[in-house]
Amino acid sequence: MSLFRLATKNIEGSSFRSGVVFLCALVVAGLSLSTVLVIRGAQDSLRLALERLGADIIVVPEGEASRVETALLMGKPTQTWMPQENLSKIASISGVAAASPQLFLASLSNASCCSASELFMVAFDPKTDFAIEPWLRQRLGHELRLGESVGGNLVFVPEGEENIKLYGYIISLKGNLEPTGMGLDQTLFLTFDTARDIARISKTRAVKPLEIPDNKISAVMVKMQPGADAHKAALDIMQTVPNVTPIESPQLFQAYRKQITGLLRGMMAVLGITLVLSLVMISLIFSMAANERRREIGVLRALGATRVAILQSLLSEAAMLALGGSAVGIALAVMTVGLFRNLIVRSLEMPFLFPSLPALLTLIGGGLIVAMVSVTLAALLPAYRVSRQDPAVAMRE
Amino acid sequence: MIALRDVTKTYMVSKEIAVTAVRDVNLTVDKSEFLVITGRSGSGKTTLLNLAAGLVKPTSGAVSLGEVNIWGLSDKEQSLLRNSKIGFVFQFPSLLPSLTVIENVALPRSFGTNHRNQDPYERATQLLTLVGLSDKVSAYPRQLSAGQQQRVVIARALVNEPEVILADEPTSNLDEQTEREIMDLFHDIHAKTGVTIVLVTHTSQLVAYGTRAIQMANGVIQ
Amino acid sequence: MFKVLAAIVVVLALVIGAVGQFTDCQSQGKSIALANGKTTPMKCHWTGQAALGTALPLLGLGSVTAFTKRKESRRIIAVFGTLLGAFVILLPTQLIGVCSNPDMLCNSVMKPTLILSGALVIGISLVGLVISERKPEQIA
Repeated sequence: MSLFRLATKNIEGSSFRSGVVFLCALVVAGLSLSTVLVIRGAQDSLRLALERLGADIIVVPEGEASRVETALLMGKPTQTWMPQENLSKIASISGVAAASPQLFLASLSNASCCSASELFMVAFDPKTDFAIEPWLRQRLGHELRLGESVGGNLVFVPEGEENIKLYGYIISLKGNLEPTGMGLDQTLFLTFDTARDIARISKTRAVKPLEIPDNKISAVMVKMQPGADAHKAALDIMQTVPNVTPIESPQLFQAYRKQITGLLRGMMAVLGITLVLSLVMISLIFSMAANERRREIGVLRALGATRVAILQSLLSEAAMLALGGSAVGIALAVMTVGLFRNLIVRSLEMPFLFPSLPALLTLIGGGLIVAMVSVTLAALLPAYRVSRQDPAVAMRE
Repeated sequence: MIALRDVTKTYMVSKEIAVTAVRDVNLTVDKSEFLVITGRSGSGKTTLLNLAAGLVKPTSGAVSLGEVNIWGLSDKEQSLLRNSKIGFVFQFPSLLPSLTVIENVALPRSFGTNHRNQDPYERATQLLTLVGLSDKVSAYPRQLSAGQQQRVVIARALVNEPEVILADEPTSNLDEQTEREIMDLFHDIHAKTGVTIVLVTHTSQLVAYGTRAIQMANGVIQ
Repeated sequence: MFKVLAAIVVVLALVIGAVGQFTDCQSQGKSIALANGKTTPMKCHWTGQAALGTALPLLGLGSVTAFTKRKESRRIIAVFGTLLGAFVILLPTQLIGVCSNPDMLCNSVMKPTLILSGALVIGISLVGLVISERKPEQIA
């Protein structure tokens, strides 16, 4: 019989103790992975959203910065206006490569003329846009035509229908952008022309018409020239253009970033405490087990088992329980975070993106290794002590 | 076979208090002897057995098995020596509770590097037949009586065809009849195989089973 | 060990039954308005009812597992447990479904809870089957 099989038999023979160690490994691995999934998902989400926006600076009406951020973060629609003439002033600032206006609109809430309730709609100018256009060229091969739109990852055509109806206007959904985990996933993107067409049609077909004020825009997306100083440009914008707030990309979602940091600290603290307590418990259980099996181990030594063999057998037990417990814990963590993502986002008011399969597999592998190493280390000292004991002393009552 | 020369074993009970369990003992056990060591509780007979087995290091003196000085070997070599040359029968229940009877008997085959040709479980089955427990192969120790458990331990002690069997009060937890059965079994095994047996007991009547007997008192051979 | 597995199955059965009753749109006051002025429940309501219907035999199965010792019985229980668990997963995903709006409670709570609970029931049934096959027969 191999020592591995002996370890298996010992695990079966002390099911309560083994169950507790299994459970500790499950909790440690599951909690660690859940924390990493949420925190890393939030960081990925932020990165992808900033890439999606594509802007180095977003210029919004003064005082509207936090509402716009919330709209982009959580997909909660907002409407905000500033004079269209701001566009040319911003475009002429030194270092600016491109400036593209956007309109922030929203569908009606629970209205019969809208098949999607409170949908955040962003209208862009195809002639100057630099964020959506590249995607359109690559995926669709052409620009959006009148009546066409693209949606974030979570925008869908209602069941049983072929198109989305907004304000009594039929819009076809030509595709979905890759997920960012943020409010951008619940945003519908359409051209200025389509937006104005909707406004026109809504006067007769909608419960309440879509109002787009003349000569007004909601925001300007600014792309800087390579090597240009975005901060200086932001300061120039503030001096040149009245009643606007330029938000530099690194400062975008500042409140969200602080929230992630705060959440990260809190989760790491909980994780740290849980980890320490679990490992202490595992160490105590193995100490107890080693003490109870002191005589049995003395017998094994008398029968010819070396100290190393005893240590290997005990650590095999720990490793097997760690592997089993952490595998189950990780599976539960992945399933829970993946299935309950929507609920977690709404409860924490913090978007996060579930990782891609290769990234997830890497995290799972890392989680398994960390759990196995830490549980085995927790068992190491008691196992080492008992393996070094004199067989005769060990066998004494 | 086994030689103890000027062997003393002193235990430190506390920083100041030392207890000498065995004092200046000289003992030689010849091949195929059946030595019975008697003595009262605390006379040092169990310590003497443990010293002979290499389970505890002497404070002074030398212990050898065959021509080999046990304490000149590394832990690995000592373990190998015990595994291949010594069979143990303990006073306390020493079967592993999570293994079946046959797994317990075959267990010593898992250690050491002896390359015996016979399958361990085949050898274990033969030995269980020898000790009269061929029908308990798949049972667990908790399903056996104390006497049956001790028979299994004797079978385990024989699995690697040892040169010597060391038995520490193997019948102290048994009733009289079972004690007789176990001692008869030792006698039969000794007669059939010629294996050297050193048996420690506090029951002086068991001296009759051996080819030689010695008595210990206060750590010294009388 | 089987008593522990049985207890977990009983808890899961209670969760499956309860989640179907308290997280469908009907319980949140939402239903479909028909042309004739009457209302009809959304499909998540029927998923919830079906979940309750599945929870009851699962509850029975869990209770029986705690006391049965025969290998053959445990095998049958494990097979039924696996089938019921699979059924619970299929209810909100393939068989009936829930509302597609991710903001609805049926989508964000009922569906993932049923999927997770169903998966756990399957997992536990298979674990019980493996343990039962390895242990020698114990007569009750």
